[in-house]
Amino acid sequence: MKTVSTWIAGSLVASVLSLAPAVQAEEVLRFATWDSDESLAIEQAIAKKFEETHPGVKVQVEAYGGDGYDQKLAAGFGAGNPPDVMYMWNFPQYYTSLMPLDDLIAKDAAALDIKDIPEGLLNASRIDGKTYGMPAGFTTHVIFYNKDMFAKAGVEEPKDGWTWDDLRAKAAKFRNEAAKTYGFAVDAKPDPYDFEQFLWSNGTRYISDDGKQLDGYMNSKEAAEVLDMFGDMAKKQEAATINVGEVTSASTLFKGGQIAMMEGAMWNKSGIDKSGVKYGVAMLPAFKGKPVQSAISISAMSIAKDAKSPDLAWEFVKFYTSPEAIAMRKNDLPVRTSVAESQGMTKDPVFKPFFDILAVSTKERPAFLKNPKWAQIQENLAVAIEAAITEQGNAQAHLDEAVQRSKRFLK
Amino acid sequence: MDATPAKRRRARLSITPYLFISPWLLGFLLFTLGPLVFSLTMSFYDWPVVGERSFVGLDNYRSMLTDDPAFWESLGITTRFALIYVPFNIVLSFLLALLLHHARFGAGFFRTAFYLPSVISGVALVMIWNWIYSEQYGLLNYMLSFAGIGPVNWLGEKNLAVLAIIIASLWGLGSTMLILLTGLKGIPRELYEAATVSGVPGWAQMIFITLPMLGPILVFTFITSIIAAFQQLTIALLLTKGGPQKATYFFAMYIYDNAFKFYDMGYAAAGSWIMFLIVLVLSMLVMRWSAAWSYYEGELKSEDGGRNA
Repeated sequence: MKTVSTWIAGSLVASVLSLAPAVQAEEVLRFATWDSDESLAIEQAIAKKFEETHPGVKVQVEAYGGDGYDQKLAAGFGAGNPPDVMYMWNFPQYYTSLMPLDDLIAKDAAALDIKDIPEGLLNASRIDGKTYGMPAGFTTHVIFYNKDMFAKAGVEEPKDGWTWDDLRAKAAKFRNEAAKTYGFAVDAKPDPYDFEQFLWSNGTRYISDDGKQLDGYMNSKEAAEVLDMFGDMAKKQEAATINVGEVTSASTLFKGGQIAMMEGAMWNKSGIDKSGVKYGVAMLPAFKGKPVQSAISISAMSIAKDAKSPDLAWEFVKFYTSPEAIAMRKNDLPVRTSVAESQGMTKDPVFKPFFDILAVSTKERPAFLKNPKWAQIQENLAVAIEAAITEQGNAQAHLDEAVQRSKRFLK
Repeated sequence: MDATPAKRRRARLSITPYLFISPWLLGFLLFTLGPLVFSLTMSFYDWPVVGERSFVGLDNYRSMLTDDPAFWESLGITTRFALIYVPFNIVLSFLLALLLHHARFGAGFFRTAFYLPSVISGVALVMIWNWIYSEQYGLLNYMLSFAGIGPVNWLGEKNLAVLAIIIASLWGLGSTMLILLTGLKGIPRELYEAATVSGVPGWAQMIFITLPMLGPILVFTFITSIIAAFQQLTIALLLTKGGPQKATYFFAMYIYDNAFKFYDMGYAAAGSWIMFLIVLVLSMLVMRWSAAWSYYEGELKSEDGGRNA
């Protein structure tokens, strides 16, 4: 009996002690992120820094994970209990529940130094002229290539201004059936958001700028050309096909030295660094005679309309986009030109292509910003892409079908 | 004077049984009937998770039936699945139940072994089949390699993927088997003894005694199998994700995507109600049709006997 009562007393004391710090912290700020692992650790470190400068504030970093992020966030909003601050990309879906930031930005213009952030990054979080998010990090797309494989095969490394014809000619030289090596990898299930960069580079887009016309865009001659080219690369074995059989990631092949080139972004870099592959980075190739463009993936910070303490939330967002916090982010690229320059990234041959292509990638708006039903349209598009790559051709028919099936979302 | 306590007692009597079943009653109202009515209301709304809701009347149903090819395709895939799954599920379960019924030894062991897959959660089951179907490292392709058959891409080819899902679904037939086995055990032995004495051959005993006596239970398994076939989601969602190229995009998955991928809750609720109506109509047809061949006399008699005793 005695031991039991001492145990109870002990645990009571312990629980009171553990409560004590929580009582001291008057305000809890909830921050939701889709990152995990290393990127998450970076964010937690930034949150810690914020807590140091703001005594009495506790930032509760809620990691929803990549796949479940949208579901958990939607559930949070649906239940009227969203996080105060959150990572955001899908502005068309959420902007009605987010706080417009323009007044706050104007108020703190001097401290924010908004001119330091490229316009292209800010544009992605604007709906109807209002800004709903502050960019915190971004990545453009590039080609990673394996320097050792290039040297061994005696193939000249990619140069600025190269084209898909150049890439295909190089890729053909790496195919070795016995060693199971290929020059490149073609994805049968690419993220359609990223894939639009190839259509842009070939002079078309998924959907008209007013978001009401698919016919002549998604199924245009130029779009079919892109798909047919990738299908043909798979057919001629210039590229391995992923996501048809069990191989689901180009970066795994690249890290294993089985493909000489791969299309990728910043999120591939730390894994490749760790694999020990000696690599170089090149700009995306252009389609002959046309300007090349990249998709830009941006992590922006948004505040919920019903955030419990909007001022504190804005303080946190401001801190997140401060040069100090941005410099801490190693898994994506700095949104502030000054940080990129002070870290020498714009000169570094590994990072330079990311910034070079950013400079020419501000002309197009991604499709999801143009039509509220884009998620459903994209479903049909993804089937067309998968079919065209799997069948290694016949893209026009599949794209026509995707357009046909998506008609009801244009009304 | 006397009337009041009596009345009170009667009043108490009428409430007491409901109090006893109140846990179930509350559960039914809160977790079954409530959501049911709620989802019916939802199906008349444009109901996004985030943002404004608006009443649209029958629009969800109209655009689903007239304007959405994915609806008809997924319904077609589910129907084809059901047409294969339901007969196989019942026939195989019946054969297994027969084997167990006549087993001389180890009946308990085999009963457990056959039932075990039904105890495993759907997700774990899918993991197992993932390993079996794996193109490069799978058990199935490993065994086929001894017969000289090259690696088959089970989950990557349209027709094979459907087959793969049917086989994986049939693996969980343990509960149907158990129900049929119980039914077999309930058939009075005297009927068979009498038939044997009269010189009726085994196959005739099967057709004229076993099947008719099992009738009501067969009807029951028929209906539950149809419901299971239409609700097929876990295996397709986790094993093939509806692919390749939507070849295994089942109706339940179509509803799931509308709700949790596109956040179109009203549209998804409308889909659920259509599924409910389809299953309801099919069940009623089975009941009506079974009157022609199912033999309910066995049940009636035992009920009668119970009352007389």
